[in-house]
Amino acid sequence: MLSVNAFTLSSKNKILIKDLSFKIDNGQVLSIMGPSGIGKSSLLHFLSGSLSPNLLTSGEAFLNNETLHTKSIQERKVGLLQQMPLLFPHMSIIENLLFAIPTDINKLERIAMAESALKKLDIPDKASALPKELSGGQQARVALLRTLLARPDYLLLDEPFSKLDPALRRDVRAFVLNEIRQANIPALLVTHDSEDAKAMEGKCLELGIVK
Amino acid sequence: MPLKHAKWITGIITLLLVFPIVIGLVGTLLPAFQYFPPLGEYNISLIPWRNLFAQGEFYASLKLTLITGIVAPVLALWFSLSLLAWGYQRPFFHKIEALLSPILAIPHAAIAIGLLFLLSPSGWLVRLFSPWLTGFDRPPNWITVQDPYGISLIIALVIKEMPYLLFVMLATMKSIKARESLQVGQALGYCRFTLWRKVLIPQLYPIIRLPIFIVIAFSLTVVDLALVIGPNTPSTLAVTLLRWFNDPDLSMRLMASAGAISLMLVIVFVLVGWEISHLLLSKLTRAERSNGKRCGLTDSMLRMGVLLGLLTLLNAFIALALLPIWSLARRWRFPDALPTQWTWDNLDRATPLLIELTLNTLTIAFITTLLAGVISVVMLETKRHDIARSSQTDKTHVFDWLIYIPILLPQIGFLFGLHVLLIYLDLNGDLCAIVALHLMYVLPYVYLTLKGPYLAYEEEYLRQANRLNHRPWQNYIRVKIAMLKPALFTAFAIGFSVSIAQYLPTLIAGEGRYSTLTTEAVAQAASGNRKQVGSMAMLQALFPILVFWLAQFIPPRWTKWRFALGNLLSKISRRS
Repeated sequence: MLSVNAFTLSSKNKILIKDLSFKIDNGQVLSIMGPSGIGKSSLLHFLSGSLSPNLLTSGEAFLNNETLHTKSIQERKVGLLQQMPLLFPHMSIIENLLFAIPTDINKLERIAMAESALKKLDIPDKASALPKELSGGQQARVALLRTLLARPDYLLLDEPFSKLDPALRRDVRAFVLNEIRQANIPALLVTHDSEDAKAMEGKCLELGIVK
Repeated sequence: MPLKHAKWITGIITLLLVFPIVIGLVGTLLPAFQYFPPLGEYNISLIPWRNLFAQGEFYASLKLTLITGIVAPVLALWFSLSLLAWGYQRPFFHKIEALLSPILAIPHAAIAIGLLFLLSPSGWLVRLFSPWLTGFDRPPNWITVQDPYGISLIIALVIKEMPYLLFVMLATMKSIKARESLQVGQALGYCRFTLWRKVLIPQLYPIIRLPIFIVIAFSLTVVDLALVIGPNTPSTLAVTLLRWFNDPDLSMRLMASAGAISLMLVIVFVLVGWEISHLLLSKLTRAERSNGKRCGLTDSMLRMGVLLGLLTLLNAFIALALLPIWSLARRWRFPDALPTQWTWDNLDRATPLLIELTLNTLTIAFITTLLAGVISVVMLETKRHDIARSSQTDKTHVFDWLIYIPILLPQIGFLFGLHVLLIYLDLNGDLCAIVALHLMYVLPYVYLTLKGPYLAYEEEYLRQANRLNHRPWQNYIRVKIAMLKPALFTAFAIGFSVSIAQYLPTLIAGEGRYSTLTTEAVAQAASGNRKQVGSMAMLQALFPILVFWLAQFIPPRWTKWRFALGNLLSKISRRS
């Protein structure tokens, strides 16, 4: 379970988010909506540990009752999925997947895990293809599986569907939700699109402008 | 790069950059005022200056330096602007663009030697028109190269500098929105050249000011080109100074140092004069820019520049083509346009020498460029740290101006000042010393080439990699460096060709113990053994072109090759 208590975000001259609290159970997706510039992405950066030093925050975050906000990035085991799939362009699809699988697993099993991920995506023949040879929807799915193969403790989604064709979005959303449920970890989705929030079948928080 | 203590690293690199500059300057300044402990001179005085001003040769050399050093950049700028205005966005211009980097890569000594073969009284140009037009059966008694006015030196300088300026300008086209401005202007009915003159060139100038300064400083101080194709007795100031520095009478060094200081002052004066002229010119033409005339008489200046620019390019290519012809010629008597008999003998006979020279050249270039690449990456990474931390993004970093100083200072004098340090450190004549001096000239070009792509890198890829598995160093190499491959290869090619072209640093640090293709080609250029000189100059030109070509060829295919190799290895392991 991921929980955030009394999160406040302010830039130099104004408060962007005030006293935000929420809880997300394992296998659930909480959606956060709001206009751009409101600080949604900064909330994700706060949780992933890569907040820009120009922003001030207060509040606490816990993962399964362990404090999260004091840990360094490398201790957090966070999965982050963004608009761009960020697949490494010079590595094949299977290399991209293998990159994420922890090294304490033995070599043959790692390859088996990557191959089963490809089967799940219905692209077992694309193992040695380069990311640019895949469609946008396929890239987004590979990116999600790559993130999950690293076995994160929680997942952050920063508008991962916004660059996709509307027709593709529905499929990718369903795929993402299904995978999160299987991984059984809490996930936080930040989006513009209320359809995204609806499709995640979870709670939805709307952020407004703080006066 | 998971660097810690970025501030300390910045400081240390800054010191390492400043140290040789200060030593070189002090090592020139003190002897210029009679303070030179190696000769037992401990009293500061003005005698070196009095000696210098009493030399008639100083004034004659200075005059030649000013003529060649000012006329060449003016012509190079004129031609390159004209070519750009004429060709920008036209389809065939891409082909000319593609030819620019090989010309840029070729060491200037090779081009100068090619020009010697082309323009000298017994050169190809006269042969082409003899005897049917000129009636010459033997080379005429003219002075066409190494002429006393420095015209052939100016041609050589323009050939070297015009492509460089063109290259730099093409890179800025996006930032001044050239395409959009041209569309708007042409819709208003302006002629193409007028549009360039009134709208684009004024915007372009401030961006390319520094490259122009580099070109001016180069023209005023160049040694190897001037040795091969410049006037002698009197020669340009840089060459005269080189002779004084190398004079067996060591006390000449003091006067030479005073001369080197005056050469630095000459650079400053010319640059200041250049800026003032530019200011006056832009004040004068300001009103004219908005007078609404759609076409103008001055357009013909640009049109003429195009013609002369193309002629210059053609000149360069013929000059280069003559190098392999000479190295393969057995019999090539005067009025024949081509050799009557061809042979590999010249190359065969020179093989032991050529192999030694090539090995020296490539070893020095390889070590230097590799070092320059690593240092540049560390410098850029600390710069990136600084940018990421501070809120002002356009702050100029200390490296950005410091790195230009070695290129702007005259090599002559400065390097002799450093030589004294090398003697103290007992490094004179050592390979390390050669690499160190080369590094001063290679590093700026590698750093500047790498800067744009390195800082533009989408850092999110690396961050994502570190979230997926926490191996920062490994990820830095496997993700960031691997993705920057094309830029790294290009920077390597540029550094490599800069190193191959170095003449004075090799000569001074190596003290003649290490000869390279460049030092030997320059030394033998005047010998008249065209077949051997042609072979050296050809190799000298060949390696940079080869490395440039590899830098374009390898990166796009790297991943494919890596997969193929992986498949092959797995097949082999399965079989065994």
